[in-house]
Amino acid sequence: MKKYFVILLVIPALLNAQQRFINDTLQMQGDSVVVTANRTERKLSNITVPVNIVNAKQIQQAGSLRLTDILKEQPGLNMTSGFGAGVQLQGLNPDYTIILINGEPLVGRTAGVLDLNRIALGNIKKIEIVKGPSSSLYGSEAMAGVINIITESVTNIPVQASIRYGTYETYDAGINNAIATQSVFYQGFYNYFSTNGFSIRPNSNSRVTTPIRRYTLNQQLKYNISNNTNIAVGIRVTDEKITNDISVSNGGTTINSLGKEHNTDQNGSLSLHHRFSNQLKTSFRTYYTEYNAKQDLITITGAPYYDLLNHVFKRLENQTDWNINKKVNLIFGAGAVWEGVKSSRYDSEQIRRTNTIQYAFTQIEWTPWDQFIINGGIRFDKNETFASAFSPKFSALYKINTKHKLKLSIGQGFKAPDFRQIYLDFTNAAAGGYSVFGTAQAQQVIGNLTRLGQIGTLYDSYYQLKTLKPESSIGVHLSWEYEPTVNSFVSVQLFRNDIQNLIQVQQVGAYITGAQIFSYLNIGRAFTQGIELEAKQKINTHINVSTGYQYLVTGDKDQIAMIKAGKVYTRDASGYSRLLSLSDYVGLPNNNTHKAQLKINYYAANGLFANFRILYRSNWAVNNTNGNDVFDQGDEFANGYISLHTSVGTAYKNGFSMQVGWDNITNYTDPLNLPNLPGSTFFATLKYQFIKK
Amino acid sequence: MKKTVQSIALLVIILTSIIACTKSDSPTVLPITAITVRDIPADTVVGLSAQGAPITKGVYTFYSLEKNVIVPNTDSASTKWDIAFMATRIIINGGSSGTGQGGAFVYTGLFDDLKTIPTDSVFKTDNAPTSYAITAGSGKGWYTYDGLNNLITPLAGRVLVIRTASGKYVKMEITSYYKGGATLPASASDMEKLTKQRYYSFRFAYQPNGTKTF
Repeated sequence: MKKYFVILLVIPALLNAQQRFINDTLQMQGDSVVVTANRTERKLSNITVPVNIVNAKQIQQAGSLRLTDILKEQPGLNMTSGFGAGVQLQGLNPDYTIILINGEPLVGRTAGVLDLNRIALGNIKKIEIVKGPSSSLYGSEAMAGVINIITESVTNIPVQASIRYGTYETYDAGINNAIATQSVFYQGFYNYFSTNGFSIRPNSNSRVTTPIRRYTLNQQLKYNISNNTNIAVGIRVTDEKITNDISVSNGGTTINSLGKEHNTDQNGSLSLHHRFSNQLKTSFRTYYTEYNAKQDLITITGAPYYDLLNHVFKRLENQTDWNINKKVNLIFGAGAVWEGVKSSRYDSEQIRRTNTIQYAFTQIEWTPWDQFIINGGIRFDKNETFASAFSPKFSALYKINTKHKLKLSIGQGFKAPDFRQIYLDFTNAAAGGYSVFGTAQAQQVIGNLTRLGQIGTLYDSYYQLKTLKPESSIGVHLSWEYEPTVNSFVSVQLFRNDIQNLIQVQQVGAYITGAQIFSYLNIGRAFTQGIELEAKQKINTHINVSTGYQYLVTGDKDQIAMIKAGKVYTRDASGYSRLLSLSDYVGLPNNNTHKAQLKINYYAANGLFANFRILYRSNWAVNNTNGNDVFDQGDEFANGYISLHTSVGTAYKNGFSMQVGWDNITNYTDPLNLPNLPGSTFFATLKYQFIKK
Repeated sequence: MKKTVQSIALLVIILTSIIACTKSDSPTVLPITAITVRDIPADTVVGLSAQGAPITKGVYTFYSLEKNVIVPNTDSASTKWDIAFMATRIIINGGSSGTGQGGAFVYTGLFDDLKTIPTDSVFKTDNAPTSYAITAGSGKGWYTYDGLNNLITPLAGRVLVIRTASGKYVKMEITSYYKGGATLPASASDMEKLTKQRYYSFRFAYQPNGTKTF
């Protein structure tokens, strides 16, 4: 451990021959503009809800390539590793955080997880993370929070070309360019990423990161028709091909399986903005996005396996911002969404299952006096295929004085039922012939099977099947922010989310063969709560330090009720059963009680920078091994761990810049529980920027 | 007259009940000690096919709870055994499984807390292949199956209440399905999971006097 600190201290000292003084801005909660929290531009200092901003410089200096890389270093966020890399926000699963690019949602989730490796970071201006339910502005999925990736830049960016090479034959090449004139703004971004992948568990057919080729293209064009009117077009395409060629050794026999996966994610937007006056502006936005995932593989047993998912999402929306006077600001808007999914896991992959949503929202912000801002918003979503949702939110900011701020927000969030929860028609012939039916299918399909004499038993839960309600939560966030000097920042945040109507898979019956039949019911109730701490300190013009910590408690309320009623058992060391006490209960799986990070940044006068980052996660429950349905101290846990990362870079006057990085310095691996964490990896990046004469 | 008859009847009832009580209470019942049994094989894996599939003999292991011994398979048609194991399937000597008076049910609760078998308990008998006294299947009878990690774990807080082939009563708690007496960790190798499975460890209490009290 000591060794690494020495390296950290020595490298910059050696490289830092020129000691010129520069006035580098510290990455504090400076007064940047935030667009996500209020759906309109607001100074960060006037935002009434918890927001974190990650800027381009932080992303670049950490050497992050994909969205996953940078989010895992942010307080309160955690990356999950099943069905791609998803983000867990304040203990809530990836399903419950909406991911936006320039305000428009990404679709194409597998089992609720949107793979954040899809998003290249080369052209990103900043990432805004809003914590707490935000359905009052964004509708479904904004239950834990919102992550908005902003690529729009208003300044010229001379052509930048970069190439990077890293461990496991990982290549990344990108070109980014922006041209801004009085009437036209253009930005183009191209990225190629490939890796040979790795397997830290060589003799297994699962849990490996496979070879990937991925292309990203992003084009944005904005034209100012007049001083007050502009029109903007944007397109973004990500195309990835994944190949699986695995040899599995089993009892001396080697079997090859070959798999191909092809995923494309494309979206386009067209918007018209008009400013009537300084007080009033409006925008019309249309958005189209399509996600297509195809899997074609030969399984170990030689049987072909084919899986298709196609998700189309179209939206038309209008939003008007009206500054009624200096103290009152109003936004209101309405829109319609048409959404459709085709999947080989539904009864017919030819039929597109659809849903339409009509929605309207409004938000009023009132500043009765300079120190006090109150914000109230409400949104109504009318859905065709499931129950409607009504999402209010209230938040307030009180600036006690120039150093202290208090924020309170209370909001309701919701997540619409997935298409799979409504339309799935899946029978696993390989694993005992069990079936899972979506709620729209279940009654009809099971009815037909009953007439054919295929159904053995139907449970009470079958008769409880009905139109699914959205899962909903009420989130309360209370935070205190303290800026003792311009060089220091501290914040403490308490949060609690109460979730109800969780949609859970439930057995509803059995075939005469005994094979189980499942469907979905709104039955779960859960909570997450905790404390989040953040501190930043600029030590001098060269060094700044930032740290974050999250303490998290989660639980399933029904399980807690069962434990309190003395109906849950566990086993002691001898294998004998005993009653489970509440102190043994650990809550929801895959959650870390403690999570912390520490970052030290160094900047020299000549453009040299270096950083050292430490990430910590405490242990987390992974497997229910002691024969009850709840996660408790007697179950199997993945070990907590620390990972260390460092990166050093420099920029030359002739337009070249270089960066090298070393991730996971201690070579920590856990093949079973962290299949996507390779051991130590290295990278080197060379970047050239055409200097404007 | 009527009153006298009633009084006599009442007296008779009281007397008989007293006698009945003293009768059942009088033999000083020795406290029944639980017996611990480790690693009873239940159709264990004997080899692997060319494709790597496990090979087993497909036979039950018969067990006498009265004598606490494994009964040879040649005695399978007798009342010498009470319970038999083959992989996760458990059969009881009675119904379609044997000539004994055996029956059973799964009680939810703790082994030590089950002092008397509730009077309203229903002992089920095997009716192969549609139903078994100890219900087969994950989460339904005595175990749960974790498909992701391919592990079988006995459900906590379950007691198998068994009527033996000769009509005596036993309570039993299965503690493990793996050799060594504990469920393997998820990280165990596939080979270890294959070869160490199908070994039952359990504890049981046998009441030889025919009552339902332990």
